[in-house]
Amino acid sequence: MSTQEARERLELLQGTLDLLILRTLIFGSQHGQGIARAIQQTSRGELLVEHGALYPALQRLEERGWIFAKWGTSSNNRKARFYSLTPAGRKQLAKETTKWKRLATAITRILGSEAEGS
Amino acid sequence: MFRRKRKLEDFSAEIEAHLELEIERLQEQGLSEEDARAAARRAFGNITQVKEYFYESGRWLWWDHLLQDVRFGLRMLAKSPGFAALAVLIMALGIGANTAVFSVVNAVLLKPLAYRDPGRIVTLSNFSRTGEAATALSKAVSIPDVQDWHDQSSSFEAMAYYSSGEAAVMSGSSAEYARVTRVSPEFLRVFAIAPILGRFFTAEEMKPGAGGAVLLSYAYWQSHFSGDRGALGQTIRVSGPQPIVGVLPPGFGFPNKTDLWVPLISDSPPRSWQSFLAIARLKPGVSVEPAQTELTLIARRLEQQYPETNKGRTVALTGMRDDMVGDVRPTLYLLLGAVSVVLLIACANTATLLLAKATARTREVAVRVALGASRQRIVRQLVTESLLLALVAGVSGLLLAYGGSKVLVALAPADVPRLADSGVDRWVLAFTLGISMITSLLFGLVPALYASRADLNDALKLGGTRSVMGGRMVRMRGVLVVAEIAFAVVLVSGAGLLIKSFVALHNVALGFRPENVLVMRATAPGPLSEAITHARQFFRSMLSEVARLPGVLAAGATMAPPGNVDSTGFYFVDHMPAQPDPNAPAVILNIVTPGTFAALGIPLKNGRDFDDSDTFDRPFVAVVNEALVRQSFPNQNPLGRTIFCPFDSDKGMTIIGVVGDVRQRGPAKEPLPECYMTYGQHAFNGATLSMVLRTAGDPNTLADTVRWVAREKSPDVPMKFTTMESIVSENVAAPRFRTLLLAIFAGLALCLALAGVYGVMAYAVGQRSKEIGVRMALGASSGSVLRLVLGQGMILTVIGLSLGLASAIATARLLTTMLFRVQPGDPMVYLTVTVLLGVVALLATYVPARRASSIDPLATLRQE
Repeated sequence: MSTQEARERLELLQGTLDLLILRTLIFGSQHGQGIARAIQQTSRGELLVEHGALYPALQRLEERGWIFAKWGTSSNNRKARFYSLTPAGRKQLAKETTKWKRLATAITRILGSEAEGS
Repeated sequence: MFRRKRKLEDFSAEIEAHLELEIERLQEQGLSEEDARAAARRAFGNITQVKEYFYESGRWLWWDHLLQDVRFGLRMLAKSPGFAALAVLIMALGIGANTAVFSVVNAVLLKPLAYRDPGRIVTLSNFSRTGEAATALSKAVSIPDVQDWHDQSSSFEAMAYYSSGEAAVMSGSSAEYARVTRVSPEFLRVFAIAPILGRFFTAEEMKPGAGGAVLLSYAYWQSHFSGDRGALGQTIRVSGPQPIVGVLPPGFGFPNKTDLWVPLISDSPPRSWQSFLAIARLKPGVSVEPAQTELTLIARRLEQQYPETNKGRTVALTGMRDDMVGDVRPTLYLLLGAVSVVLLIACANTATLLLAKATARTREVAVRVALGASRQRIVRQLVTESLLLALVAGVSGLLLAYGGSKVLVALAPADVPRLADSGVDRWVLAFTLGISMITSLLFGLVPALYASRADLNDALKLGGTRSVMGGRMVRMRGVLVVAEIAFAVVLVSGAGLLIKSFVALHNVALGFRPENVLVMRATAPGPLSEAITHARQFFRSMLSEVARLPGVLAAGATMAPPGNVDSTGFYFVDHMPAQPDPNAPAVILNIVTPGTFAALGIPLKNGRDFDDSDTFDRPFVAVVNEALVRQSFPNQNPLGRTIFCPFDSDKGMTIIGVVGDVRQRGPAKEPLPECYMTYGQHAFNGATLSMVLRTAGDPNTLADTVRWVAREKSPDVPMKFTTMESIVSENVAAPRFRTLLLAIFAGLALCLALAGVYGVMAYAVGQRSKEIGVRMALGASSGSVLRLVLGQGMILTVIGLSLGLASAIATARLLTTMLFRVQPGDPMVYLTVTVLLGVVALLATYVPARRASSIDPLATLRQE
């Protein structure tokens, strides 16, 4: 039963998390922990990503050919798996971003003036 | 499919690296190592779960589940061996019967012919646009026509004509029958083959007056010359000694397993002499249609050029395989259709078995669902089980089919082409595997979907002794049983129609008495001119001698015993027109010796039989049949009139007798006008006749004596013995074959349907035993319970019967061409089928109903 729940939760996050990962990688290759930190920092701590959820997402993106991975060494000399965007990943990012923005605009419009303030 | 890009270890290492990086970062922020480790883990979440997700997203899982399902399925089947054996048996019967029929269909209809580019080989045949009976009798062509087609067309790589027959061939001092085919120069080029030893005939050898040459088939070379290369240059006596010039490749025996090929030499043959068959090879890239168009144009030109012979005639091009299997195709499709209906019934039957099983397993399924199994997972598990069943059944079915196809081949008419090639090859294997998979879905999916939909709470509460799904299951099983009955009705009706038509065929008045007639075909060897004289002496002395043998009641000899047509032609009454008339009435021509009508039991209706005084130097005489009298002498006395049959002689013949009609072309075909001539005055039978002896007892016992008498007289005359009854039986071999097989399939269908009805009723009674107990406790009599259950069974039966009858009547039209004196809508057949199925279903319902009515209400109620 527990696996089923986890899967549902991941599916809920999937689209958003994928977008965030792709977005993070646009600045260059990064390992999983770095991605987690970057998301947390750029969202000014508003988005709390459970680090564990990141890895299935990375795995999925890699299987789809949007990112590729290579074992390398981190700045403080630790072995880590580094992820980079593929050209297909770049295209996907552009697509997803547009979609997301349209969705956000639509929702904002529905929620009205209160939402506009933030 | 089973490739995994990444190992779990690699994934774990990555997570490990993540944690280390995070710990380091947190330590840099001033946390203690212990706190940092805890915080990193907290931030990460459930590590095991992430790894599990990674594992499950891998493609191995599919395989893991399959192995698991297979293992579990095998365990489940082993736990109820009775159920498994029954299901396997039912499906093996269905799959085996289908595979056996398919192996024959595959060999006869589907496999390409064993020639190079067989699709380019075509047959050319005469085609009468007016569809007159005379030309429709044969598709033979004349040599000048073929030569014109050959010279004026550009679609063909090669075109040849041939004629084939049994001939007396001398080997050593005695002679035997061999199949000899006379061929034209391009014959081998049509098949794109060359002799493996020696050479083809030279141009010299194909010219009139040449010394002759013979090609051997590989099989004949092996059996008569032990494959000795020294055979080349030896002589063999096929109407005179001829040198052997070559041996053809193994497996080649066109047409009809020919033993020997000789040059077809004919000095300026007439265009009216249509006695040859033509074949051709299309040029590469040319298809049948343009070639047909081209030939049609040529044929039209020939029609204008030679109206007296070619008027109304054109030429038809047929792919060689279509030409070979034309007659057999509908029968084989019929069998394939029938046998797949049997398979559907078997599927329905197995599905009801599985439904019962699924009901019994409701609790197991409920427990598994409660433990977190998804519905999809349950369905997959159950379908895997049926797949296993189907595969085991498929393998058993293959074994059944192996034997079954041998039986089929043995039962089939002897003239089915390429039948001997049938067997299990990779196509048959693929077919068996394919239908096993499909059937497993057919019979497995519905029960699986039903079982997986079980209501968890109810199922667990009830503790599995009785199912809450009983009602729905019973309904589903009812549907399946209705389908089984309906399918069975279709098959039994079809079989009924064929049986009735076969009986009609058997009872048809043949016009002669086939029982107790020994037939001996004999041919005098040697060049035709000598052989004819030789044959005349031989048959004359044979007839006078065998007529005196004890047990022989009457003796005669004929060119074509009933059931065979040797020659056809035209006839004219009273006078012969100066110009040959293409619209003259057609006639079957036959030569008989005096006494033949008596020996065959053909009644003399008027006038007299031939006698020994009707010799060549006396006025020519003829005996005609009643069909000819009806056609040309309605309400007139034909005796003394003159008939002309310009075949071997233009002399008019005085009609001296009229005999009853004989079904010359087998029992199914109406008699045609026939003109009998006497052996004393005609010789176009050549050196061959069939002696017919009416015997007092079993004709076969006389064969050895007759053979001995013949050997004493002429050791060099080959003979073949048969009986009139077996000739008739060969004539109806095709209808017998399909009737027998359809009857077998219908019987199988009936048994399966019976089992299905019984199963569903017995199950329903078991489910309702408590309810019945209550009814009886409240005062219902055992009679009313009996009626209740019987009524329920009868409802299913009536629905199944009505659906079945409707489909049977709709599909019976497909049988029309195979029926003889029976209409596809024959009410007696459908009435019989209805009564039969009704009684069978009543019996199958009666046993469970009887059991229900004898339920002890107290015992049932106490059970709770």
